[in-house]
Amino acid sequence: MVTDRTAPVETATLAAEVEGLLAPAEADGVFRDTRECSSALLIFGLLLISPPTPRPKTDNR
Amino acid sequence: MAEQTQGAVPLSAVIADAATGVALALRGEGGPYALSGILRHGDALTPAAVRVLGADALAPYAMEHRGAQAGPEDEAVVRQALAAYPPGADATEVSAWTYRGLVEASHAFLPAGAQPWPAPPEAGTGWVAQTPWPRLSHRVSQLAALALPGLAPGLAEQLAARTDDLSRGFVRAVRRRDWLQAAGLGRWLARLPDVAPTLGLDSGLAFVRQMGGADPRVTLHIVAAQRFHGRGW
Repeated sequence: MVTDRTAPVETATLAAEVEGLLAPAEADGVFRDTRECSSALLIFGLLLISPPTPRPKTDNR
Repeated sequence: MAEQTQGAVPLSAVIADAATGVALALRGEGGPYALSGILRHGDALTPAAVRVLGADALAPYAMEHRGAQAGPEDEAVVRQALAAYPPGADATEVSAWTYRGLVEASHAFLPAGAQPWPAPPEAGTGWVAQTPWPRLSHRVSQLAALALPGLAPGLAEQLAARTDDLSRGFVRAVRRRDWLQAAGLGRWLARLPDVAPTLGLDSGLAFVRQMGGADPRVTLHIVAAQRFHGRGW
């Protein structure tokens, strides 16, 4: 890990970085939408309990 | 992030280290606190880090039973930050208020030395009443360092009128998992007098610490809310 705190830095870019750190734009929220989650769960449940697709009978007798 | 010379430590890493040092001092750990001990006078990034931390850089000196008095080295570090990064003519409200917060904290917690501290610059409060609550919450969270006792009394008075909106913002930030915003807002709410008990601020702050404690600035806000206002677990 580099630890040189005395390395020269550009004053102008540092000033811009300071302003950016003081008032950053709001980050996108990371959250789960309950309605979306419940819909996905409902669809999964319906698929799970659905009856098998009817197949044509192969018995020729 | 802005480009820096290869080999230099990122500013955010220096700020994180310093925030950890301040939080430790507020907890009463890590020995006597000295700002010039965690951010050395003469380091290239020290003034920038002090400017970003704002009044929080001096927070341990605001404690009643502090381990150490501020010395001339601390004074020099703060003067350097104030001189290097004043808010410009087109500065944001946050930039103006954080600068004012650092000046106010210098007046309150540092010796003046041979040279008096500059007068706190004017910073408006009109935006507090006019800003919609989500944007207000985001902005107020960026001013969390001003929630130190005694700083920015005018701003605190204005914010008290919007306690319910800030409470909404706290819940919103938690739901968005924006832990830094939640911690900053929670710290301000800890200072405001009429926060509804139904908000569950104490358990909310504990939850934010649990979830976002990996960020030293989140930890700093939570520890400061506990140390200065007795909120959170």
